[in-house]
Amino acid sequence: MPVPVPVGVLRLPRGPEGSSRGFSPTSPRFQALLGEPVAAQGVRATLRERYLRGLGAARGRPTRFCLRAGVCVEAVFGAADVGAMAFQVDALRTPLGVQAAALLRCTDVLAYSFLLD
Amino acid sequence: MAMRQTPLTCSGHTRPVVDLAFSGVTPYGYFLISACKDGKPMLRQGDTGDWIGTFLGHKGAVWGATLNTDATKAATAAADFTAKVWDAVSGDELITLAHKHIVKSVDFTQDSNYLLTGGQDKLLRIYDLSKPEAEPDVVSGHTSGIKKALWSSDDKQILSADDKTVRLWDRSTMTEVKALNVAMSVSSMEYVPEGQILVITYGKTIAFHSAETLEQIKSFEAPATINSASLHPAKECLVAGGEDFKLYKYDYNTGEELESYKGHFGPIHCVRFSPDGELYASGSEDGTLRLWQTTVGKTYGLWKCVVPGKCVLVPEDLPSENSDSVYSSTPEVKA
Repeated sequence: MPVPVPVGVLRLPRGPEGSSRGFSPTSPRFQALLGEPVAAQGVRATLRERYLRGLGAARGRPTRFCLRAGVCVEAVFGAADVGAMAFQVDALRTPLGVQAAALLRCTDVLAYSFLLD
Repeated sequence: MAMRQTPLTCSGHTRPVVDLAFSGVTPYGYFLISACKDGKPMLRQGDTGDWIGTFLGHKGAVWGATLNTDATKAATAAADFTAKVWDAVSGDELITLAHKHIVKSVDFTQDSNYLLTGGQDKLLRIYDLSKPEAEPDVVSGHTSGIKKALWSSDDKQILSADDKTVRLWDRSTMTEVKALNVAMSVSSMEYVPEGQILVITYGKTIAFHSAETLEQIKSFEAPATINSASLHPAKECLVAGGEDFKLYKYDYNTGEELESYKGHFGPIHCVRFSPDGELYASGSEDGTLRLWQTTVGKTYGLWKCVVPGKCVLVPEDLPSENSDSVYSSTPEVKA
């Protein structure tokens, strides 16, 4: 009477990972049904990094701001707040005179430029 | 060559597993959800038992769990007096539905737009998931706590079981169509759409009834008290498990006992065939789920048919995540 051979298995079922609740965002199903394409995430990350480096490069440099209604002003770039809602500038030259320090609302700024030396 | 069943044990739960359900077949395979007294239902890949995630949020034992057909949504019924609907891809909790007592059973309609709940307050509730804030339709009539509530007849009817009765309701009129008195406490109920068959277990009996008329088609007696039974999709066989910790497989046509397996360390509370019928899952008081092959020795999922004549390797430790070595749980066998 031959001894029955137990069916072989490739491995055991995987169990929970530590204290993680799972539902990995990198799983094919998650990516297909809920995920942003990985390429788009990479592009967003690159653009964000470039923008932040641009803000860093502007610091301390004379900058020309083009605002709405065709108004243009010049100032020395200071800093941006976390959400880029406002720029802090020094020596803002306005038709009414020079402001030692000022805040420009980013929603009012259409474009700004500065020279790299 | 005679092959012996090797069940796959899925660990992770810390308390008894009281309910389990499979999804339909999706482009990503099929999925399995398990309800546990530890309050943390889990989602697993259906053909391998691999853990995918745990639905966190319930504050009490989870008594019932289900998935919609394409496994994009899950629903759970718990002792914290709520039923919850979850996104089964992200694991996020979507909706919490407050009840007045322990909720025992949940079931989606085929279009996933409505959720049926039933529990200890003896009421059936139908929620429109597109308007979760709205009051549900309530169906009353049961005289003891509802253990299981299922949509039937293309979601036009409802089947519900309490301690000693099984009732059929018309959804549009919300009235009872038929009632069936059962000799002993109903332990489980399964609805098979193809053929409109209702599988009921009570005492040591596994009974098959017409889902439309509730007339009995046939019944089998098991050697021990049965807590759950499931009919194979092709209706060739059925599996059942209960208080003696064993799983039984019967021929549906003849009632002959084909196979029986020991393996669990506690009573079996739930057993279900996968949607393709290739395996069945059992949930037990011992806190584990086990996956069993319908055709022992067939290559499927994690089971690999070993070629006769070759030695089977026995690793000292569990294989690593990346290695796919074939091994068995008994000492080396030389053909």
